[in-house]
Amino acid sequence: MSPATTSTQPVNVKLLLIGNSSVGKSSLLLRFSDEQWLPEDESSATIGVDFRVHKMDVKGKKVKLSIWDTAGQERFRTITSSYYRGAQGIILVYDVANRESFEALPRWYSELETYVSSSVVKILVGNKVDKEFSRQVPTAEAEKFAARMSSLFVETSAKTSVGVKEAFTEVVEQIMDTPELWENTSARGQGTAHGNGGVPGGVQVVGLMDEQKPGEGCAC
Amino acid sequence: MPTELPYAADAEMSLDYDELEVLRLQYQKELAQDHVTTQTKFNFAWGLIKSPKHEHQVEGVRILQELYRAEPARRRECLYYLALGYFKMGNFEEAKRFNALLLEKEPTNLQAQSLAQLVERGAARDGYIGMALVGGVAALGTLVLAGLIRRARK
Repeated sequence: MSPATTSTQPVNVKLLLIGNSSVGKSSLLLRFSDEQWLPEDESSATIGVDFRVHKMDVKGKKVKLSIWDTAGQERFRTITSSYYRGAQGIILVYDVANRESFEALPRWYSELETYVSSSVVKILVGNKVDKEFSRQVPTAEAEKFAARMSSLFVETSAKTSVGVKEAFTEVVEQIMDTPELWENTSARGQGTAHGNGGVPGGVQVVGLMDEQKPGEGCAC
Repeated sequence: MPTELPYAADAEMSLDYDELEVLRLQYQKELAQDHVTTQTKFNFAWGLIKSPKHEHQVEGVRILQELYRAEPARRRECLYYLALGYFKMGNFEEAKRFNALLLEKEPTNLQAQSLAQLVERGAARDGYIGMALVGGVAALGTLVLAGLIRRARK
């Protein structure tokens, strides 16, 4: 009878934004959470990781989104990898006007293989469609790639806000359609155990440390 | 709906013991070889800053200060994490000083803006506690004084 039959406790969902530097991860988040946009000369590269909370209703459920915005710069790689733990959705971003950021995607996907379970929802986001005139990645090609990587796909512009809301909503909807991703975590509010064989998170850092470049010669 | 401000992701979550240990071991290994890379140093300092333990935070701040001096290319992240480290230690004055240096270079940096608010809030809370203490002492003093006066009148 009363609408209070659905639990008033929101479902906690953790999303992670990853991708090369300067593709617009922070801008997408700023557009989505605050409906704002900063021009390129005013925005600064993320230091380590940034974080925002956003509440929304999805499929009749209250969802509290914690969105972790990781630095794309190589030098933060080790520390940002520690934020994968407990993520239920991953937003992989590239810049449609920057071929290199698209070519880098396989590396981001292989990192995902290391850190998150396969049931985690992935969405590939081609950002900056406002730069249509200098597009370097055809929509069809990216769409095909996303399908191959069993990811959702959308093109966006954080500048004009095209597709931004859809990108976030689609991930969350698919997460809500996958109860095993959130049923335990909402009860415990923590969400550490994510099935990746019982090793407690920590040891993961090693993998990345080993991959580190040997510090480009001397520091002279 | 805008995010509830302010926030600082790295202030809230600490690493697992194992994770910090990995960063520490790497640091110590390189230290023993007499060549610590900037990256290793930064990673370890970051892990220390995130820790809830005061002595970790102190060590993290010390390492970051070394890095800040030695690596001009790393200044912005050093400033941010120095500010965060001091903030966590409750040293709001130093936190403010380092964060202000970052804001000077990057006035629209949202992470720094948010941290500035956290620091202000922390300092204000300290201020209230200080005032409450002073107020309490004053009130007590008045009582004692009143008692003395009354006794003197008897």
